[in-house]
Amino acid sequence: MWSFYFSELIHSLPFFFKGLWMTVAVSGLSLIMGTIIGFTWGIMRAGSNKILRSLIGAWVDLIRGTPFLVQVFIVFFILPGIGIELEAFPAAVIALTNLAACFICEIVAGGILAVSSGQREAATASGLSAYQQLRYIILPQAMRTILPPLVGQYVLLVKDSSVVSAIGVVDVTRVGWLTVQRIPEGIMVFGLVGILYFAICYPLINLSNILERRMTVVATRL
Amino acid sequence: MIFFKNVNKWFGDLHVLNNINLEVEKGEVVVVCGPSGSGKSTLIRCINRLEPIQEGELIVDDMKVHDKKTNMTQIRAEIGFIFQSFNLYPHMTALGNVTIAPIKVRKFKKEETEKLGRQTLERVGLGGKAGAYPAQLSGGQQQRVAIARGLCMRPKIMLFDEPTSALDPEMINEVLDVMVDLAKEGMTMIVVTHEMGFAREVAKRVVFMDEGKIIEIAPPKEFFTKPKSDRAKLFLSKILTH
Repeated sequence: MWSFYFSELIHSLPFFFKGLWMTVAVSGLSLIMGTIIGFTWGIMRAGSNKILRSLIGAWVDLIRGTPFLVQVFIVFFILPGIGIELEAFPAAVIALTNLAACFICEIVAGGILAVSSGQREAATASGLSAYQQLRYIILPQAMRTILPPLVGQYVLLVKDSSVVSAIGVVDVTRVGWLTVQRIPEGIMVFGLVGILYFAICYPLINLSNILERRMTVVATRL
Repeated sequence: MIFFKNVNKWFGDLHVLNNINLEVEKGEVVVVCGPSGSGKSTLIRCINRLEPIQEGELIVDDMKVHDKKTNMTQIRAEIGFIFQSFNLYPHMTALGNVTIAPIKVRKFKKEETEKLGRQTLERVGLGGKAGAYPAQLSGGQQQRVAIARGLCMRPKIMLFDEPTSALDPEMINEVLDVMVDLAKEGMTMIVVTHEMGFAREVAKRVVFMDEGKIIEIAPPKEFFTKPKSDRAKLFLSKILTH
């Protein structure tokens, strides 16, 4: 029986790759948009506008303090109630982008605040504008603190994207669910699902480790 | 060049600058000294509005620093500021440190600025260190790069906030030498320091502060030999006993 299921599974591989592509699409889009929004929020969160700072802080706390599954449900099932109708795919991308943005916001704000205040004073004293300070003095130094956890966050993002299968996005997790109804070998099917996730995440984990080491070396040189 | 008129500033309840009146002329070198917490750093940090003042008038190079509407970029470009802890940009070479503001703020051309940067590093005795990162330089060298960074803006005024306090004793003179040269070339300078040798050699006046007030202003010779106020006598007895 096992070998029959195995060959069935091999035949289903194209289906899995399609699911994998969906996982990559959802998490990749969210990663790009989440990074852009997360940096914007993070810069404002470390900025001087108190209202913006506490608004973003409250939103980040709210998102970090609620399960992602619930957030996905809210975007997909509850927003239509107030007239915002979304397909599963954009709903998934919106929820995941927001989640990524919140975590990245905290990483970025932390990195910026870790740059010593003397740097900002020196830059201010020389007449550099707020934007120029950020661009040439603060962010280049903050990136050393930001990069390793940022890539680590991308790994979490890819894994968290599995939650969106709950609203019917046919990602690799959902493909697993559908397949296991035909091929009732859970370990085999979800073993494959796990391997596919790992194939994406492992290079990212390595990248994060390499960055961590390299940034530490740079930091000790500074 | 620099006018303080009835300037007041508070940090919460602490009256850090108490009715300051001071005028510094073009080309004048003024040394500010006093016990720690007397407001001397705050005094010079107000000049380029690293700290805003709350009352009074502060006019620098004919521009109203006390007026919130004044665009500070222009004034700051005219003022070099040297910090106790150097505050060099650690991710840039010495040359990068001295050229970034002239290129971005003054809009000098890159090639010319790099030439100017090398000349200025040469002038502070660091011609060979253009490519070095701050971490590869000693404290004295870092502070000289910081001075070169200020000079590359072609400023009208240079402010020094305890420039030698963070240095090992054997490095103090290499920094003071650069400052003496600068003073002799006619730079307008306000220097917060306890280096009395430096004050004697180049300062036209010494400003003594305590508890946010200017207690005494006198030429260095007079201030060191016969200070008028008791507080200045006490202060001098403490720093000159060794």
